Amino acid sequence: MPEEFILEVKALKKYFQAGKPGLFSRKEQFVHAVDGVDLQLRRGDVIALVGESGCGKSTLSLTLMGLEEATEGSIFFEGRDITHLTERERKSIRQRIQMIFQDPYESLNPTQTIETIVTEPLVVHGIAPNNDERKEHVLRALEDAGLKPAEDYLNRFPHQLSGGQRQRVVIASALVLEPHLLLADEPVSMLDVSIRAEIINLLADLRKSRGISVIFITHDLGTVGYFADRVAVMYLGRIVEIGTMREVLTDPKHPYTQALLSVIPVPNPRLRKTRVILQGETPNPIELPSGCRFHPRCPVAISVCKQSDPHLLPVSGTHEAACLLLVK
Amino acid sequence: MKRYRYLLQKIGWSAFTILFVLVLNFFIFRVLPGDPVKAGTHDPRFKKENQEAMRVRFGLDKPVINCFETLNPIKVGDCWINPFDTQFFIYLRNLIQGDLGISYHTNGPVSDILTVRLWNTVLLIGAGQILSIIVGIVFGLFAAWKARTAIDYSALITGLVAWSLPTFWLGIILLFWGSRHGFPIGGRITPGISSYPLSYQIGDIARHMILPTLTYTIVYMGEYLLIMRSSLMDVLSEDYILTAKAKGLSNFQILKDHALKNAMLPIVTIIAINLGFTVAGAIQIERVFSWPGLGGAVYEALERRDYPLLQGVFLLIAVSVVIANLIADLMYSYLDPRVQVE
Amino acid sequence: MSIQTAEIKPTVPSSPLTGFWKPFRKNRMGVVGLLMLVSILVVAVFAPSLAPYNPKTSKGISSRDIYNPPSALHWFGTDDAGKDVLSNFIYGSRVSLIVGFFAAFISIVIGGVIGIVAGFYGGRLENLLMRFTDTMLVIPDLPLIVVIVALTKPSLLNIIFVIGLLGWTTTARIVRSQTLAVKSRKFVLRARAIGAGNMHIILHHILPLVLPLLVVNAILVISLAILNESTLSFLGLGDPTTASWGQMLNFAFDRGAMSTGAWWALAVPGLGIVWVVLSLTLLGHGLEQVLNPRLESHHLMPGRPTVQSEVVDLSNNRSDALVLLDVRNLSVHYVNDKQVAKAVHNVSFQLHEGELIGLVGESGCGKTTLMMALMRLLPAAGQITSGSVLYGLQDLATLSEEEMAEIRWKGISIIFQGAMNALNPVRTVGDQIAEAIIKHMPGMPHGVVNARVIELLNLVGITAEHKDHYPHQYSGGMRQRAMIAMALSCNPQVVIADEPTTALDVMIQAQILELLDSLRKKLGLAIIFVTHDLGVVAEMCDSVLVMYGGVTAEYASVDTIYNNPQHPYTQELLKAFPDLTKPEKRLTSIPGYPPKLEALPGGCRFAPRCPVAFERCTTEMPKLHELNHNHIVSCHLVENNRVR
Repeated sequence: MPEEFILEVKALKKYFQAGKPGLFSRKEQFVHAVDGVDLQLRRGDVIALVGESGCGKSTLSLTLMGLEEATEGSIFFEGRDITHLTERERKSIRQRIQMIFQDPYESLNPTQTIETIVTEPLVVHGIAPNNDERKEHVLRALEDAGLKPAEDYLNRFPHQLSGGQRQRVVIASALVLEPHLLLADEPVSMLDVSIRAEIINLLADLRKSRGISVIFITHDLGTVGYFADRVAVMYLGRIVEIGTMREVLTDPKHPYTQALLSVIPVPNPRLRKTRVILQGETPNPIELPSGCRFHPRCPVAISVCKQSDPHLLPVSGTHEAACLLLVK
Repeated sequence: MKRYRYLLQKIGWSAFTILFVLVLNFFIFRVLPGDPVKAGTHDPRFKKENQEAMRVRFGLDKPVINCFETLNPIKVGDCWINPFDTQFFIYLRNLIQGDLGISYHTNGPVSDILTVRLWNTVLLIGAGQILSIIVGIVFGLFAAWKARTAIDYSALITGLVAWSLPTFWLGIILLFWGSRHGFPIGGRITPGISSYPLSYQIGDIARHMILPTLTYTIVYMGEYLLIMRSSLMDVLSEDYILTAKAKGLSNFQILKDHALKNAMLPIVTIIAINLGFTVAGAIQIERVFSWPGLGGAVYEALERRDYPLLQGVFLLIAVSVVIANLIADLMYSYLDPRVQVE
Repeated sequence: MSIQTAEIKPTVPSSPLTGFWKPFRKNRMGVVGLLMLVSILVVAVFAPSLAPYNPKTSKGISSRDIYNPPSALHWFGTDDAGKDVLSNFIYGSRVSLIVGFFAAFISIVIGGVIGIVAGFYGGRLENLLMRFTDTMLVIPDLPLIVVIVALTKPSLLNIIFVIGLLGWTTTARIVRSQTLAVKSRKFVLRARAIGAGNMHIILHHILPLVLPLLVVNAILVISLAILNESTLSFLGLGDPTTASWGQMLNFAFDRGAMSTGAWWALAVPGLGIVWVVLSLTLLGHGLEQVLNPRLESHHLMPGRPTVQSEVVDLSNNRSDALVLLDVRNLSVHYVNDKQVAKAVHNVSFQLHEGELIGLVGESGCGKTTLMMALMRLLPAAGQITSGSVLYGLQDLATLSEEEMAEIRWKGISIIFQGAMNALNPVRTVGDQIAEAIIKHMPGMPHGVVNARVIELLNLVGITAEHKDHYPHQYSGGMRQRAMIAMALSCNPQVVIADEPTTALDVMIQAQILELLDSLRKKLGLAIIFVTHDLGVVAEMCDSVLVMYGGVTAEYASVDTIYNNPQHPYTQELLKAFPDLTKPEKRLTSIPGYPPKLEALPGGCRFAPRCPVAFERCTTEMPKLHELNHNHIVSCHLVENNRVR
């Protein structure tokens, strides 16, 4: 029986050591990259993880992939606890979870042909040991990723393809293992605006045709408006607001989300909106502010925000935000 | 990291390297066939009383080190003996006292032979290095400045050819030509010059230095030229150079205030790394020009199978290079602010 | 990413290995080196057939044969033992090459393994290996080799081993740093994400990318090994059963060639060494240029002269305000290796006092090239081929370097994309701002300059104590503010902002944009804002110039562009750009990709991707049609003011 949630994350933390401990030891300092994240993803759903640099979204995805070891908390994938596994145990999981990175130029080994690149996952997992069968899989994956006619691409090298095509190759190499969950870390940020939709629409189609669940990490809320079911906003290692796309975009409850939405430029010169521009920069995740982490920059902070660190509080059945103002 | 910590680390590491060299030196001369120290006691050139002195001074009848009687052939011994009663520690003790052994050939202390020669080598290497650095840097600078022009290509070829010349051969050719055109055939001074006034003596040394220094300069400037050229070209392609140009600074100003300092940083590192090579050059040049320096001492020790001298020279050379490297490292840390500030 | 992105990259091979030959063939240095090397290899291999005499036999040699000068019998004369120098030379090549290659092989294998293991596995193992390598690196090579060979048997095998076992240090360092660099690249992370094990990653990803560097280094190691062998032989430590070039020189030098004047015995063997080492050096240098191509050009190289064009006096002022900058029909080409990239073609616009014009386009549209051309900061391959840039009474396109330097920063300044290296990392930020002030306002007392620097920093929200900090101590947002402060330091009339917020977070971007806007109003600046972000353009700009493939697609006020776009590219671009107020709008994209500037299509540059293109579009380039209200569109469909 398929589980309700394909992915369940409970109180996940990932800390890094800040600097090297000296010969004469200093107090240990940590970078609180991910500091207590709860997340549930239904099969076939798409959730957008939004935040600025330093919010921990990339670390979160690396930890979910098992490329970083969680410091605390647990990750359940299709009902199985995958938080701390050996590489051997993890290998079978890796077939089911795949990742797409931000930089299409760097994601591909420049000395390998497209065929080699897309075949590699099959080689690593020993799937279809017959060469012809492998080629079949590869051609199909390339076509599903929108590269047609697929044969034309097999012997080309990455530098002969455009940015959009390269990203499709990355997607093809992820598809060839028939994953259930796709972690897309800013997959279109480095592409020209006029071709971003191509890739996003491709992901949307794959979701529909193959039922792949997607975690879409981005700093640009606008791009995923129509594609994501839910949105989670991250700040300093935590999710500060989570809800359906409509809820978060039209009725944000966390002051950070509100500020973020107010400053994102809209292509309409006649629209003059009030922008809430936060001062300063995101504090470094080594020395966190007391109480609510956002309070030093929050335009509507009250005195209790300095002392109390809020959890995600319910706004509606599907909408939560970590703000003490909701308590009222 | 903080400056003092960086310095401490570097100094500590150099001390370790020197220790490593000492140990290496000791073991090479014990492990390799024909234990020369022991063999010396049978060498007919060696006076009887010096053989005795060697035996006492270096404890030749004692075990080499704990657990090993001898190292060639390996004969295992007692591990629980007093470590201070082994050849290894006697060797270390002697070193600290500046005792490098007794030469088979002169039957005098090795350290006496070397102290004089050390300064001769420093003089030669010093002059040669300084000149090659200056020449190399200047040519390299011009080559980068006029990139892709005839000046650049000819400088590049010159550098590559100079780098490819074997040091000793260039010396031979220069000496061949020079000795037929009025230059001295070798040595540091003309015999009998000491009766002349000091200015004549200095001039005499200078005359003897011209050809070897020239050899030195030609061979080593090649590398500095090539490094300076590529380093400066890298720096001049950096974004901040474009910013400087956009600010309206003249090319000369940009070179002086933005490019040179950054381009020179790798040179300092190269000077440090080169110190090992310059010693190799010294050995060759001093043989060809009969210059009485450490390099010449190496050759003489080889020719005469004077192992104590060989061992002493090797030690002195290696330790000097380590210390020179340390100085270069420290200089670099003062020049690059990214190292200083945390 | 460097500021100048529009430069043509050198010809890339179609496949790394087989396509390597073509660019290598063009590299003269490498080819010469290879030929030299092959020739000496042939000599070594065919020594018995090539050498006129057998150097081993002493038959028929008497004392009269010693040091005979070159003659018909002995092309290179005879040596101290009466033997033929040429034959000795030919056989001597074998020793040098054998020792060189085999010793180098040992060094490279050791160095390569140590380098990869240290770089890949990291941690304590790396520390240990690298400390060991550094220690061995410091200890001088030759003296150690000399000592060891002196104490052991000077046989060829021994020499090969000793040189080989001591020559790996540079290889280890280079391989390690390259392994580290490759290890952190995204495709390795991807391989891990797929589940590849360490061995797989090392073999399939690390090794192929380390190999080019290793090959170049190998050549260096071989040449060093050959030099070491000849030096050893010259010092008398060569294998007595062989006669290498170094040994020939040793004997000659020792046995009176100098005094007898037997230059042939001294010159010939040495030339052999030089030939081999030089061939390797040239080959190595050539290989490096091909495998690791650096753009052999830099920012201070002299540029190409502008092609003068007649200044047509069409004072066609688009508005009542004063025109500060009038760009007319500007075209810019890049000339490289017989290829010409027409990066900008016939672009015109006007910048008025207090105006903020947005220059919009995607990668390859030529917007950065256009800005660089305005400031005359084009790279060496760039050239203004037609048009003019009128600033006041002068045409910037035709000014000399000295004249241009006067106008730069004082009249027009530029804020670059906040690349890490846009500021010099070894000078303080305050220093670099002061530099501009001192240059353009000479004679200002030191204290006044200082005060001005602090004033500027405060203006952009940076407190005074940061003045003496270095760029790496600033955050990304702060660095960009510092760039703005620096750009304003000489009170320019025009400021070019080249994608100033592209690399920054949304919130920081908002801060910077607000800052720019307030500064504009406060100081009365005119700004050219280069970006690809249509949202920012809508917020900030008064007028917009949309570029595609180097040409003007559309040029109009911001309101017109957004509410009445006429060029198909503008329309498609707007459809592809997300609007947060309409989150459910399904975004579209434009199929295909921007044209390659070296191989432009004939006709309209947008035609291959245009949804409404017809035959004329592929053969004829559309003119710049002017619709009403200063609205310019380059599309056949708006000819004769037919509005779509």
